[in-house]
Amino acid sequence: MSDIDKKTVENLTKLSRIECTEEEQEAILRDLKRILNYIELLNEVDTEHVPPCNHVLDDIANVLREDEVGAILPREEFLANAPSQIGGMIRVPPVIKQT
Amino acid sequence: MHNLSAIQIRDRFLKGEVSAVAIVQYFLDRITKYDGQIGAFLSVFPERALAKAKELDKRLAAGETLGKMAAIPVGIKDNIHVKGEISTCGSKFLVNYRAPFASTVVELLEKADAIIIGKTNCDEFAMGSSTENSALQKTRNPWDLNCTPGGSSGGSGAAVAGRLCPVALGSDTGGSVRLPGAFCGVTGFKPTYGRVSRYGLVAYGSSLDQIGPLATNVSDAALVMEVIGRHCEKDSTSMVRNTEDYLSKMSGNIQGMKIGVPWQFLENLAEEPKKAFNNSLEILKNLGAAVVEVDLSILKYSLSVYYVLATAEASTNLARFDGVRYGVRSPRAQTLDQVYDYSKEEGFGPEVKRRILLGTYVLSAGYQDAFYKKAQKVRTLMIRKYKEAFEKCDIIATPVSPFAAFEIGAIKDPLQMYLEDIFTIGINLAGLPAVSIPNGFTTDGRPFGLQLIGPQKHDVDVLTTAFAFEKAEPSNVAIPELVK
Amino acid sequence: MSKHYSDWEAVIGLEIHAELNTKSKLFSSAPNRFGDEPNTNITEVCTGQPGALPVLNKEAVRKAVQFGCAINAKIAKFSKFDRKSYFYPDSPRNFQITQFDEPIVIGGTVIAEVDNKEQSFAVNRVHLEDDAGMLKHFSSFAGVDYNRAGVPLIEIVSEPCIHTPKEAIAYCMAVKAILQYIDASDCNMEEGSLRVDANVSVRPKGETQLRNKIEIKNMNSFSYMGMALEAEIKRQIHLYMGNGDASWDHLIQQATYRWDPEKKETVLMRRKESADDYRYFPEPDLVPILLTDAYIQEVRSSLPELPLQRERRYVKEFGLAGDLAFQLTSDKILSDYFEEALKDCGNARVLCNWLLVEFPGRLKDMGKTVVDHGIPSHHLGKLVSLIDNKKITGRIAKSVADDMVAAPGKDPELIVQENPDYQPVHDHGEIELLVTQVVTENPQSIEDFKAGKDKAFAFLVGQVMKLSRGKASPDIVNDLLKKKIGDKV
Repeated sequence: MSDIDKKTVENLTKLSRIECTEEEQEAILRDLKRILNYIELLNEVDTEHVPPCNHVLDDIANVLREDEVGAILPREEFLANAPSQIGGMIRVPPVIKQT
Repeated sequence: MHNLSAIQIRDRFLKGEVSAVAIVQYFLDRITKYDGQIGAFLSVFPERALAKAKELDKRLAAGETLGKMAAIPVGIKDNIHVKGEISTCGSKFLVNYRAPFASTVVELLEKADAIIIGKTNCDEFAMGSSTENSALQKTRNPWDLNCTPGGSSGGSGAAVAGRLCPVALGSDTGGSVRLPGAFCGVTGFKPTYGRVSRYGLVAYGSSLDQIGPLATNVSDAALVMEVIGRHCEKDSTSMVRNTEDYLSKMSGNIQGMKIGVPWQFLENLAEEPKKAFNNSLEILKNLGAAVVEVDLSILKYSLSVYYVLATAEASTNLARFDGVRYGVRSPRAQTLDQVYDYSKEEGFGPEVKRRILLGTYVLSAGYQDAFYKKAQKVRTLMIRKYKEAFEKCDIIATPVSPFAAFEIGAIKDPLQMYLEDIFTIGINLAGLPAVSIPNGFTTDGRPFGLQLIGPQKHDVDVLTTAFAFEKAEPSNVAIPELVK
Repeated sequence: MSKHYSDWEAVIGLEIHAELNTKSKLFSSAPNRFGDEPNTNITEVCTGQPGALPVLNKEAVRKAVQFGCAINAKIAKFSKFDRKSYFYPDSPRNFQITQFDEPIVIGGTVIAEVDNKEQSFAVNRVHLEDDAGMLKHFSSFAGVDYNRAGVPLIEIVSEPCIHTPKEAIAYCMAVKAILQYIDASDCNMEEGSLRVDANVSVRPKGETQLRNKIEIKNMNSFSYMGMALEAEIKRQIHLYMGNGDASWDHLIQQATYRWDPEKKETVLMRRKESADDYRYFPEPDLVPILLTDAYIQEVRSSLPELPLQRERRYVKEFGLAGDLAFQLTSDKILSDYFEEALKDCGNARVLCNWLLVEFPGRLKDMGKTVVDHGIPSHHLGKLVSLIDNKKITGRIAKSVADDMVAAPGKDPELIVQENPDYQPVHDHGEIELLVTQVVTENPQSIEDFKAGKDKAFAFLVGQVMKLSRGKASPDIVNDLLKKKIGDKV
């Protein structure tokens, strides 16, 4: 049923921004095909009129916090893990403006 | 001292029979002696741990009242933050990531005066059932160094089994605390979803993840639960009325309890695990419980549901690892696109990539209804089936795994690896509490585990049943020859 | 074939993003503030650190519900959040937390004054979502600042029911005014706390099908938006009209344009080859929002006077023209100022004119408003009162206004007192002399007036005013002149 093919895998790598070599993509295609066949067992189950389970504990709602400022993450600690920084900002290669 | 339980160690400390510094040093020495072979720890904190120990000794001498976990050394799975220390999550991506904030569970442990002794190895981003997916090192099972300790919290399981620390924390998304518990012959507990805060746990499957303790015995696991099982304001999915007194309820009496067994689901079980399981049922019956049959045939779909939902959530949870704000940015990257593409390519192992791509697929346009939404609906049905089963019984029992610990490298096929979790995965889908306790050995000395499952929020019942079982058959709590 | 621009109509939908002025961010307790040093208003949550989790801000929910009540929309009793996946450096998690299919506010109406008539615009939905950080572009690199990441936004989506740039501006003014009056947002377009994107298509009048639309971004003020819409509508019509009767579907492909204020035209940014696959799914780290009737009622009853109510009140009580009342009430600060000033004078129409025309004209070059410039409201009120009580003439008032602008904070009564040239002349005797002089010197005008030329009379009045250097009371001049001319008959 799932028509996953080379093009699909290529598209998936683009969507998830993971560069994969040709070989890796082939291996992934093989694995995904088998896993998806297994997953397609789900089609056997009758789920007419069954609501999706968005939360496994169904009695929690309205978890809200007061509008108050709390402890901030100091900039030096934030930037300590940065691969590249400049002027207090995270530095990345130049970007095409997208507004 | 490594033959003592955590509670016994704490009590000796409180009585003044042994200093906290001596306790910590003892376990640090054991780590030095054995962890070269086992590989449970990714990092050890001698200075930090001894400093805390010194402080505790001082406070005790000053007559202060100390916390419930005073002087107990604890290992923390490397996907749970200790502020200021590296959290690798078993991945090359984060080898240089120093946690800028504390996880709630570690804060609670430290407030209870536990001593964090080190971070333990795990499958990369908690994705795996054997810890073989760790990009950083191999962890070996103390019962048989050629075998895996289970996963994904294999480091914590091996550390406790090897008595390198009396208790450890793991995380469980599809069995990742219970499976190492079984493979390593120790107790592993996964609480009801929402019982323990996920704040500071690097998310894998957000609606499935729970942090749980691994310990040499049920009472120690219960002690840890008393400390970490609390409502957390920083976690919107945290249960509200949360704290329980587990220890005071451990009576050992399960007279009249009904144990449900989903026999059809266990049809294909091999001889050895079947024997161990049946023995366990006998023990429970001897304690006064009755065994009834329950229908959980729907669980044959649990892997399918899990691998849709967990990977979908994971594909978005791991999107943040892009080499921009933290983690290892690819040195090859010249453009922004390359920062993303190469950093992820180099930083993620094959299992992680596989799950991210699968998760992206099941959420993508045109497929979401067939996969993601369908799986969500089947999940609802599973929750209903468990509820129905619990109308007939108090606790459900199954083996933890169809097999005992397997050889490192023996399972190469990802799909076959996924099948390791067949008995544990449904529990996460339904958010139920479950424990794994040792219940026997293979002929060549590898442990088996018994899984006891309770209805949502019945964590106390699960632990008290486990306690009764453990009391009745203490020989299962054994120490591997290697580390005796 | 439609031959003329007027045979076409534009179909416009507007998406307004308004940053809520809560103290802390939507899901993180970092401060919600503009203009600080980069990365100083952050927490682990809004920088997407692994292991951090979102918790929803109560006040943001309230403000969203308030806005929904103010536009008479349906407040959803059940709403939830979803993850919207896309990769960009200003996104701390590479997914935004937004509301996809179950937003907190559904429907609603915005009423704005267009060409002196109230017009209703339909709103499709309003939902909560978190803002992204800011990317600062340099030639060889870009810098990312996460201060803005996680700031609460409400996105207000109109139906495609706007048909002219004028309507679009009026709609935006009305939405901005509501946000201001309920104190939900700073509504500052320069600082980015209010942003508008437009979706524009055109079609021959009478055609019901919607043609392909163009998204326009980067419109930093309402007037730029008007210009951008005007330009884009012309561009599209021109394209269709220049095509003859050939099929038109390919002429305009979905794309995003940005407004270039230098070139004064819309410029292509990127094409939408395929719809972006955002892979929306329910946010597992957040639980649903369940609102009760009691809560919704409480929020509704806590609403202050809204701009439309105030506008209608001005029209009814003060007899102001609809357009003027709309303009005045669209800015709460100005409107509050107006009401304060009214306490000192009671002449709404004249005051309105000074507030909307006279003073803005004098302050335009400075780029300030009466409020910015520090002219207290009761001074304006006094000015109008002086005119009303005939203490000064209209002409003198203009000079007094100039002086008030030059020395903001100086009391107009004092200004008048201090300047002898501003003292009006009421002395009949004095004026009589001037009238006599003018009448004597302008016999021709008197003849003209008697011949029926009313203008001649005005000329004579003007001459007297000139002689008196504007200080003579116009009423008295009128009277005396009439008498004098009458005598002459």
